Amino acid sequence: MILRVLRVGLLRLRHNPVEVLLALVVPVVFFTIFALIFDKQLGAGKTKPIRVATVDCDGSELSQQLLDSVAADDLVLHNKLADRHGADDPGPTYQQAGDLVLRGDVTISIAVQEGWTDSLETDNPLPLLVIADTSDPVAPRMIESVLQRAFGESRAEAQATALKESAAKIESIKANALAGGPAASDPTASPSDLPGLPPPAVPSAETSSQTQPTPAALAPLEVQKVDLFGDGKANPVVSMYAAGIAVMFLLFSATGNAGSLLDEEENQTLERLMCSRLGMTQLLLGKWLTLGVVGVIQVAVMFAWAQLVFGVNVLAKLPGFTLMTLATVAAASSLALVLAAACKSRGQLNAVSVILILTMSALGGSMVPRYLMSESMQQMGRLTFNAWAIDGYNKLFWRDLPLAELGPELAVLGGSAVALLLVARLLARRWEMA
Amino acid sequence: MLLAAHQIEKRFGELTALHGVSLHVEQGERLALLGPNGAGKTTFVRCLCGRLSPNAGWVEMMGKRLPPRGGRAELGFVPQELAIYPDLTARENLSAFGRFHGVSGRRLRDRVTWALEWTGLADRQHSLVKTFSGGMKRRVNIACGVLHRPRVLLLDEPTVGVDPQSRERIFTMLDQLSEEGAAIVLTTHHLEEAEQRCDRIVIIDHGRIAAEGTLADLIAGTIGPQRRVKVKLVDPLQQVNGFALDPDGRGLQAKIADVARDLPQLISEVDGAGGRIADIEVHAPTLHAVFLHLTGKELRE
Repeated sequence: MILRVLRVGLLRLRHNPVEVLLALVVPVVFFTIFALIFDKQLGAGKTKPIRVATVDCDGSELSQQLLDSVAADDLVLHNKLADRHGADDPGPTYQQAGDLVLRGDVTISIAVQEGWTDSLETDNPLPLLVIADTSDPVAPRMIESVLQRAFGESRAEAQATALKESAAKIESIKANALAGGPAASDPTASPSDLPGLPPPAVPSAETSSQTQPTPAALAPLEVQKVDLFGDGKANPVVSMYAAGIAVMFLLFSATGNAGSLLDEEENQTLERLMCSRLGMTQLLLGKWLTLGVVGVIQVAVMFAWAQLVFGVNVLAKLPGFTLMTLATVAAASSLALVLAAACKSRGQLNAVSVILILTMSALGGSMVPRYLMSESMQQMGRLTFNAWAIDGYNKLFWRDLPLAELGPELAVLGGSAVALLLVARLLARRWEMA
Repeated sequence: MLLAAHQIEKRFGELTALHGVSLHVEQGERLALLGPNGAGKTTFVRCLCGRLSPNAGWVEMMGKRLPPRGGRAELGFVPQELAIYPDLTARENLSAFGRFHGVSGRRLRDRVTWALEWTGLADRQHSLVKTFSGGMKRRVNIACGVLHRPRVLLLDEPTVGVDPQSRERIFTMLDQLSEEGAAIVLTTHHLEEAEQRCDRIVIIDHGRIAAEGTLADLIAGTIGPQRRVKVKLVDPLQQVNGFALDPDGRGLQAKIADVARDLPQLISEVDGAGGRIADIEVHAPTLHAVFLHLTGKELRE
């Protein structure tokens, strides 16, 4: 009897290839996506390069060496702003460096302040500014390590150069003394007293601040982290996850609801509707609006919860939130109608939508933040609604960008909504008439 | 003629589902469309509704040729399946389908109230349809197709899967519409429905009209009006003059044209042969017999 039950179960599976496909293909698809996201990164002991911009307002040899060394690091994908070229050219500003981070063009901007090199010889050395997008909490720490290492290397190089120069000067002084020159009158002069000579050794950044009090010249690099996003926000990172989850479930609920078209086809309600005065275009638009209303409520509830419980300030960004939500919901509803119109049955729709939505969500950043992905994966993610929607919500709640900055996201989502709705209408012709 | 179909031909790839089917229906007439499974009944109804575009032929309504699609506001259609929203109440369903058929405002409210009374569901108007019995759902299904007062109502097997009481109620509802002047065209496999409840019958087979007319016309044109008589005998007989006996000699069957004239003669012949009659059955010709005569006994899958 038990074996008969097993046999019946297996036979039923055999007669439902879509279920089998779902059970076999979905895990493989997801394994592939996540393998592509993390391959050659965490598993291989490597980390994805961090997009970094550098601004050199100091313009010294040391600062240049330092930034060159940072740029050459394997961990860094460098986006170099122009250096200062002279008194007439003010060069890139701290503001520009910050803007790059704000817009998400780079994860971190490193700014060397004017007079930084000179300040190293004082008791109060100027810090290097690390302007960070703290939605990626790992990147600033990694960049600080890179900076400390690069600083040590740059100082060592400068020290070696200075030692050579000092040695040359000593040789010159000795030669002068032997010839009866001015140095002969100061027998106590030593190389370290000579101007510009660096200290004999620079300890590592990790140990310098822990072992013994050191003079300013031996101190590790002072780094000041500037958080452009998190300051003043109750729980800023949550907005990212709210957007990611909201979009994913929006797609799920929209495709589920759009499946009512297939139910109506199966029970002949569609046949009856098409015999009435209702046209297919009206029917699709009505369905689209239904999906839209449900979607807007769903996203609104999600963000209302995010505001109430996690402190995401949705009300302060209400116009932008409304526009983003309308565009996202419109696009998701259109996609759902395309899927419903393209599929032959509810079962087929379920299988296709689960695979498509989970893939879109994985690539688009609903499951794993896109900054963890390689550049190519990030670009691939831009083919999904999730990425555009999440980027738009992030611009609002994370980056605090003005409404006008939502242009690309609104255009892509809105354009997709219209285009997909037209595709759905074309596909729905099969229901109109045989 | 209220509705007429002329030489409707419909092909699906290699398969020709309808071979030039023509019929007409008059005001207040109840027309039954019979045929085995796959005979082309539903395809023909869909062509009438404008849901299928015929490859040849056309449909006319009140003398006006209809386009392949649309222009059928005077037509009502009730599909075979329960084409209603189970998660809406009876009233909500009626309101929705009334609106889809172009009825609105006060007229819609009046029609919905009428439909609830007509179906006997006024006291359940606020209940979700999914909580209804099969017969109640069928009544809502029909009511959703008549809110716009169609002149012709097309019903695809409207009583499938319902109990005799519900079936009776449904036909009472349809009779009411017919009395108000609407023409009813229904497809059915219940031959007694066609026989008892319809004025005219059309039998379709293999995409062609096999026979058409009143029951009497069909009988006259096929198996003839003779009654079939079955006589059971108490004791077996060897021979009865003019009638063939069953192999065991305990019964005989005969066809008689006139019961009053021919039945006494049969009884007299049995008496004359020394037989004693245990029972006599006289069967009038039925639509069932006509149907099998026209379409054969072979299964249609």
